[in-house]
Amino acid sequence: MMTYIVFILSVIFVVSFVGFSSKPSPIYGGLVLIVSGGVGCGIIMNFGGSFLGLMVFLIYLGGMLVVFGYTTAMATEQYPEVWVSNTTVMGVFLLGLLMEVMLVLYVLKSEEVGVVFKFSGVGDWAIYDTGDSGVFSEEIMGVAALYSYGAWVVIVTGWSLFVGVLVILEVTRGD
Amino acid sequence: MNPLIFTTILMTVLLGTMIVMMSSHWLMIWIGFEMNLLAIIPILMKKYNPRTMEASTKYFLTQATASMLLMMAIIINLMHSGQWTIMKVFNPTASIIMTSALAMKLGLTPFHFWVPEVTQGISLTSGLILLTWQKLAPMSILYQISPSINLNILLTMAVLSILVGGWGGLNQTQLRKIMAYSSIAHMGWMTAVLAYNPTLTMLNMLIYIMMTLTMFMLFIHSSSTTTLSLSHTWNKTPLTTTLILITLLSMGGLPPLSGFMPKWMIIQELTKNSSIILPTLMAIMALLNLYFYMRLTYSTSLTMFPSTNNMKMKWQFETKRITLLPPLIVMSSLLLPLTPMLSILD
Repeated sequence: MMTYIVFILSVIFVVSFVGFSSKPSPIYGGLVLIVSGGVGCGIIMNFGGSFLGLMVFLIYLGGMLVVFGYTTAMATEQYPEVWVSNTTVMGVFLLGLLMEVMLVLYVLKSEEVGVVFKFSGVGDWAIYDTGDSGVFSEEIMGVAALYSYGAWVVIVTGWSLFVGVLVILEVTRGD
Repeated sequence: MNPLIFTTILMTVLLGTMIVMMSSHWLMIWIGFEMNLLAIIPILMKKYNPRTMEASTKYFLTQATASMLLMMAIIINLMHSGQWTIMKVFNPTASIIMTSALAMKLGLTPFHFWVPEVTQGISLTSGLILLTWQKLAPMSILYQISPSINLNILLTMAVLSILVGGWGGLNQTQLRKIMAYSSIAHMGWMTAVLAYNPTLTMLNMLIYIMMTLTMFMLFIHSSSTTTLSLSHTWNKTPLTTTLILITLLSMGGLPPLSGFMPKWMIIQELTKNSSIILPTLMAIMALLNLYFYMRLTYSTSLTMFPSTNNMKMKWQFETKRITLLPPLIVMSSLLLPLTPMLSILD
């Protein structure tokens, strides 16, 4: 099972995405976002990116999702939608699940899957080595590169986040 | 809105488009689009009534979907070519997805449904920014990937846009919806020639922006958003009726006004490439556009539109000072003799 752990985690990832895109109440969307965040962290860690995985847990789940959860809890309604409460939501969820199950069976059974890319069975997901970059770990080099060569990206994304806050305040301010 | 915040947000809209036009890395282009989208939402929502909020929400949803499709095309391109540099797209699937994403951002058919509704729900100045500045960034990306766009899809979208832009505008009396349908039709003309000679796309974009700026500023000057309201300009500023006449006929593509230049060049370029039926169809469908422009000029400048006597006086606080209106009017009507200079756009 450990050979195919990335495949299993990816399937759980997609299923939790189906879970929140079938639009239950935001509280339940946040719940599956936690699951998908944790599973995504697992996928990244299997590729050797322990730092990025921990950042997902700390910043994404522990920062952004906590704020999201608190604001949603303040704005919640008396009878929030669950996946089984509304026929439409349940129908969409089951449809997404069905498509994922069919895709997984297709990948497991056949030798080559060519949806947009060509995967040769489940073997393509198994990790044999984490890249032959020698002594250094790739993901730490990536973070280092972000702050040296990628200074412009940091400036642009920092400005985008700042303007995002300005925009949110402006939109919710009203008259 | 607080002037400082407004300036910051407006500068961010400009910065977003500049980042899209200047970058050579696909990820930065996507970041530029997102920054542009995020910052224009409060500009669309300048007045806080349910109409503007609904229009901003519709704009946000369609543009966010288009950005998602763009990101997917970028990643497929990365998987198949192994590099992030913007040049022609290496995979047909990625090219089709990217063309659809950029068509959604521009408002080409079959993704045109948001343009009239969003333009109608927002104020005239916001509509001006929406229909002119926001078209620059997607068009620049289309220009850069033009060698690899699937010609069938591009020409189908272009011809259908010209048809929808002309046909859909026929039943409109609201000026913002008329400008929205005119924008759809002009985008169709621009993308039709994209695969043959992208310089003409840029020429058409330039002249379209000048003419649309002029039209919107004339509407802002007379504070009119309906045909009926526009038909009272003879009472307020009789000169603007003539200017509206000239600019609208230029938008319709009549010689000897400058709106004729892009249409003439595009038809010439298409016929040089041995497609005869396509430019004929496009020219015929541009007549639909001309019809509703002429209806506007008829009710505004050529007749005194029937209205009750107490509606003839228009109420305003003070004369609006419109920047750059005279040069824009001159440029949007008298540029035709400068056609040989379009070689500088290369």
